[in-house]
Amino acid sequence: MDTLPLVFPAGPGGGPFGRRLRRAAAGRVPVILVTGFLGAGKTTLVKALLESEAGRGTAVVVNEFGAVGLDQALLAPAATGKVALLSNGCLCCVLRSDLETTLRNLHADRLRGAVPDFARVVLETSGADDPMPVLQSLLNDRSLAREYHLQSIITVLDATTAVAALTSVPEALRQLAIADRVVVSKADLAPPETVQALLGAVHDIALGVPIEVASQGRVPPDFLLAESSLPPPSALVAEAVHTPGLSSFTLPFDRPLPWRRIATGLGLLQDLRGADLLRVKGLLAIEGCTGPVVVQAVGQVLHRPLELEDWPNGTVAPRLVFITRGALTRAKVEPLLHGILAL
Amino acid sequence: MDNARADAPPASIWNFRLLAQHALNGFGGMGEGLSIQIAPDGRRILWAAHESAPKNFTGIDVTDPRNPRVVVQTELPQRFMRSNSLELVGNTLVVAYQVQQPGQAPAGFEMFDVSKPEEPRSISFFDASGPKSRGVHQLWFADGEFVHMAAGAADFTPRNQLDDQCYRIVDVRNPSKPVEAGRWWLPGTQEGDAEPAPERHVAGNDFGFRAHNTNVYPQRPDRCYLGYLDAGMFIMDISDKSQPKVISRWDNSPPYVGFTHTVLPLFGRDLLVVTDESVVDGGADWPKLVWIVDARDERNPVPIATCPMPPLRDFQGRGGRFGAHNLHENVPSPNCWQSEQVIIGTFFNGGLRAFDIADPYQPREVAHFVPEAPRNSPVGAIQLNDVFVDERGIVYTVDRFAGGLYVLEMDF
Repeated sequence: MDTLPLVFPAGPGGGPFGRRLRRAAAGRVPVILVTGFLGAGKTTLVKALLESEAGRGTAVVVNEFGAVGLDQALLAPAATGKVALLSNGCLCCVLRSDLETTLRNLHADRLRGAVPDFARVVLETSGADDPMPVLQSLLNDRSLAREYHLQSIITVLDATTAVAALTSVPEALRQLAIADRVVVSKADLAPPETVQALLGAVHDIALGVPIEVASQGRVPPDFLLAESSLPPPSALVAEAVHTPGLSSFTLPFDRPLPWRRIATGLGLLQDLRGADLLRVKGLLAIEGCTGPVVVQAVGQVLHRPLELEDWPNGTVAPRLVFITRGALTRAKVEPLLHGILAL
Repeated sequence: MDNARADAPPASIWNFRLLAQHALNGFGGMGEGLSIQIAPDGRRILWAAHESAPKNFTGIDVTDPRNPRVVVQTELPQRFMRSNSLELVGNTLVVAYQVQQPGQAPAGFEMFDVSKPEEPRSISFFDASGPKSRGVHQLWFADGEFVHMAAGAADFTPRNQLDDQCYRIVDVRNPSKPVEAGRWWLPGTQEGDAEPAPERHVAGNDFGFRAHNTNVYPQRPDRCYLGYLDAGMFIMDISDKSQPKVISRWDNSPPYVGFTHTVLPLFGRDLLVVTDESVVDGGADWPKLVWIVDARDERNPVPIATCPMPPLRDFQGRGGRFGAHNLHENVPSPNCWQSEQVIIGTFFNGGLRAFDIADPYQPREVAHFVPEAPRNSPVGAIQLNDVFVDERGIVYTVDRFAGGLYVLEMDF
């Protein structure tokens, strides 16, 4: 499964999963998903990115043109219809019937020259949205994964309310658990001890995830634009976190694995407990591949594997990071996968 | 269409990074010859052929790809000449000379010692002029021993002047005395052939049955991968260079409109990549495509896909040509990037485009670069003409009329 047709040899530079890539996003449009509760500061963050030099060429998907609060002066005069071009080379795209249709149309419009090239898509979820269906669409090869790459999930937390929300609202906990990066907003409005408590909670729930405290709604654009789809540095692989209702753990693998076994193991978990498998991401050494293979899964969707040219920073550290819910703990997952690998 | 469209500039770049652009001292009209030399003093020199007179070729120091510097720019002896094509092996540079009218001279190729890049020294000249010859349009020189080329000859008399350049092989093992080793032409195109003349393409699409690219690789030194314009492509058996023989032919025209230009074999993939050159302005000869061809059985090449093109509507009115032309050809040189997964080509005003062909049935565009119209461009648009990628992954592409050299990095 997931391998290319065997009509033609893979040839130099290729493997069972196609071309070995310099980076995970190679040849696809990166998508940055900005999630967080209503009023957390997502819009301010996105607006600041659009207005920055580094944010040029960003396509932002919004519910309506007014949603990102862009200055009218920034909107190009021809801004009508479903796509508005901004004077700084960005564009705003109004969400159509659903996200998948919107992103498909955006891709098609780009191909046929109906909209200018864009370097990335920023997708701001509404506060009440569960980001899981969005993630599944982005990873599903039959929908968007051939053209788009999920580069980063950025969760924005309101320093004044997040600690309470994390303990009382399951969706808030889930948004944080799946985050690749966290932005803490409104820190200047919260007592220092509250901010510290939040940072501690973030560290406990989202292990090893980079955190940036926003200053007047802004963070350095590079923080938002960084590639974050790969697992965190290997120094953290041995740790595990258990927050009530959530588990985050890393399974290291010390040898090349047969892809079929890994796919079967993950598939079994997805079939039986997909709802509790919030996210899996990792890099594995796979038999028949010379570079690391990127693994990403959300719920019941396993992304088509991608082979990279080299291990990041030259560190060979095969591992899978799991973020799970309920009883799907490390104690359940690890023996299952190792059992299948040992068959 | 429900999209608002602002007046977006035609320039666009995706997954390439522009490192530098050099107008080559005001002579930025470049042909289809690019080759890299590591000079004896360690400098990296890009040799580039000019599309037309007065300049012959230019040597550019690209050791620092962000700061290219012209080190030499030579003149053609006659205004009616054009060099267009060149290749380099070691410190030996071979430059094609074509003339505007049959019978003009000099026409052929010249060999240079460029050990001192600032002072190219002529080694020899191979005469390909003749009453019906326009000399050499394109040449391939990769093994240091033989030049394979699209050329006329004093003793080659085409039935139709459009068919004046055949496939010729020249032995240059003694570079001071090049001698012809063999030639082949489409049967029926030369006076005296027993075969009937080939049926010509319809008026307006009759560009000639003549050779263009003549690629030969060390993986198969007994094969030439030959583009033959309106006759399509050929795989030639050149195990006996004095008598090249046809193994197979694939010709897509009609219904397409000929001008088959490049045949790039991917030996590790059992594939060929074939281009048809756009030669008419305004997209009038659309579609000129990059074809992926199944070559598992070299006796029966089968087209299986084409690389996706941007919309004609968006480019046909920009000025100049729009469609396929040259590819990065995996030249067998230590200074040339090798790829059987990514195909990079030039598309005139469609710019530079890269395609992932890991799944050859579904090529995908993964990068493009369309510069703005160069200053003083006679057609008002970029016309990217040729591309070469060095072993560092640095991409060099040139404009046909005015823009000169663009240096890029790949980011895919």
